[in-house]
Amino acid sequence: MKRTTIPFGPQHPVLPEPLVLDLILEDEKVIDAIPTIGYIHRGLEMMVERVEYTEMGFVVERICGICSFMHGMGYCVSLEAIMNVEVPERARWLRLVWAEISRIQSHLLWLGLGADAFGFENLFMHCWRMREQILDIFEKTTGGRIIHSVNRIGGVKRDIADSELAAILAELQELGAAFKETARVFGTDPSIAHRLGGVGVLTKADALAVDAVGPMVRASGIATDTRLGGAFMYDQIDFEPVVETAGDCLARVLVRLREVDQSIDIIRQAIDKMPKGEGLPIENRPRGLPSGEVFTRLEQPRGEVVYYVKANGTKNLERFRARTPTFANIPAMIKLVKGCDLADVPNIILTIDPCISCTER
Amino acid sequence: MSFFSRSPWILHYDGSSCNGCDIEVLACLTPLYDVERFGVVNTGNPKHADILLVTGSVNERNIEIVRNLYRQMPDPKVVVAVGACACSGGIFARAYNVQGGIDKVIPVDVYVPGCAARPESIIDGVVQGIAALELKHRMTA
Amino acid sequence: MDTTAFLARVEEYHRDGWRLALINVTTVLPAAPAAHGAQTAVEAAAVGAAPLDGPGVFEIAWGFARGGEFKTIREQIEQGQSVPSISEFFGAAFLYENEIRELFGINVTGMGVDLKGQLYKTATRVPFSHGAVKARLAALAASAVKPS
Repeated sequence: MKRTTIPFGPQHPVLPEPLVLDLILEDEKVIDAIPTIGYIHRGLEMMVERVEYTEMGFVVERICGICSFMHGMGYCVSLEAIMNVEVPERARWLRLVWAEISRIQSHLLWLGLGADAFGFENLFMHCWRMREQILDIFEKTTGGRIIHSVNRIGGVKRDIADSELAAILAELQELGAAFKETARVFGTDPSIAHRLGGVGVLTKADALAVDAVGPMVRASGIATDTRLGGAFMYDQIDFEPVVETAGDCLARVLVRLREVDQSIDIIRQAIDKMPKGEGLPIENRPRGLPSGEVFTRLEQPRGEVVYYVKANGTKNLERFRARTPTFANIPAMIKLVKGCDLADVPNIILTIDPCISCTER
Repeated sequence: MSFFSRSPWILHYDGSSCNGCDIEVLACLTPLYDVERFGVVNTGNPKHADILLVTGSVNERNIEIVRNLYRQMPDPKVVVAVGACACSGGIFARAYNVQGGIDKVIPVDVYVPGCAARPESIIDGVVQGIAALELKHRMTA
Repeated sequence: MDTTAFLARVEEYHRDGWRLALINVTTVLPAAPAAHGAQTAVEAAAVGAAPLDGPGVFEIAWGFARGGEFKTIREQIEQGQSVPSISEFFGAAFLYENEIRELFGINVTGMGVDLKGQLYKTATRVPFSHGAVKARLAALAASAVKPS
């Protein structure tokens, strides 16, 4: 049979980012997919050579504009571990609140992009309209819509007043109620079920074999979530990882839908449990220069991220490394694309929630 | 009545951006900012486009892509560089794989500052781009 | 550790249900700048201290995760030495292995999927190699304004 190679990307309408795959086809069936990255590769890990560790956090935040808060947090947490800094409790709770708000933001963003990819523009608009409310909360509390720069080594830069936290919670709960209608459409619309159901199935065994992370594996029936490790105050939160069992594109949508609700609930618990009052300490600035190394793991919206930081007693880190969730999910994506129809490729690629700027750094 | 100002079509390319500006470009299309009310349509085909919106800087690998997209667009055409990275390379200007702003490769008509650029300023940049498009059209007509 | 012993340990991780979390490489210059009283890498390069002289090593860490646990296998290799691929046990390793070959210039033997140097296409060839790091630091030091 005649083989055709179709280049997918770097400029492709389904994804604003330059993902590149060479799809090798026999008729309409994809038999192989070869990834090429490097279109966004900046080499930011090597910027430790010239950027001092105190400022490197601002570079790390810009690994990705969607998980910006979590990247900044991961960097600061790593340095705090190396420098033995005790972060004030309220700052740790605030970080958790912001982290969960960014999870909601990311999931709404993705649900919109996903809807656009399977031809449901109306849903795209609704998801992004709600996402703007989240961005407003970010802007009010951190000053930035996308890049927040609110994390510092030793704590956070700004406090959120208790009354404002209560207002944010009320707003999120209102948004959660409104989101139910959108979620209902995603979950019950027959054309969505037809387009995504049974497409791109990642079995439980395959998910384990390719070392995938995040919603990708939770949609294949594996109850794993880095937050269960309990670090960063999650040990005081009552939650269960969201799991679906079908492993198809639809299951991955459903996991993210339910995680929006879950995050709102986590924020409610956090606001309930954090120490209240004005003028509580939110920052404990470290002294001296960092020396040592650490691996840090966090659960980002797309799954587990691993940071490695090695400091050698100078102002420049010896190594900063981020292994982002999309990097870990690329082998799974390639596995899913093999054997599918060409027309399903955009949906399969989108349901892994790829973040190319994270992957290439 | 002016020739272009009613309905400029936009092609978006993401260079080595962190995604921040890209999602703000997309946010412009969604209900709160809704650039379609100005007749702006986002297209995936360079041959249909009047304005090239580029986010992020150029690197070794995407330099040809940017050049290629620009070449395929019909004249008159306008380039809007969105965000600090597209303007100058931004915070990544001196990273080893970043060559600098978009103007290292193709002529830029409008520079939109910001990290990330806000939707309001992106829309303002597009509106200025429309004026530049109109001017180019008159000069060549 | 020899190759057989290394692969046996990797197989053990695989059998015990660990997941490959990352493969990380650190480019270590011959001597830490701090040892020469330099505050930054560039300062060390400017005074011509040891970081730029002599060969350096690569520290490689294979990180495995299982639930909340995280463990690593560490190796230190010299420039020009190669490491064995672990894609026999962890299929996803091919992406990391292609990456370390392209960015660090470390040869990985027996990779599951060989992308033939086409994964990244960086302006600086092998940008994380000792040679490339030294060249960047030396250029920075030469262009830096001398502190008064």
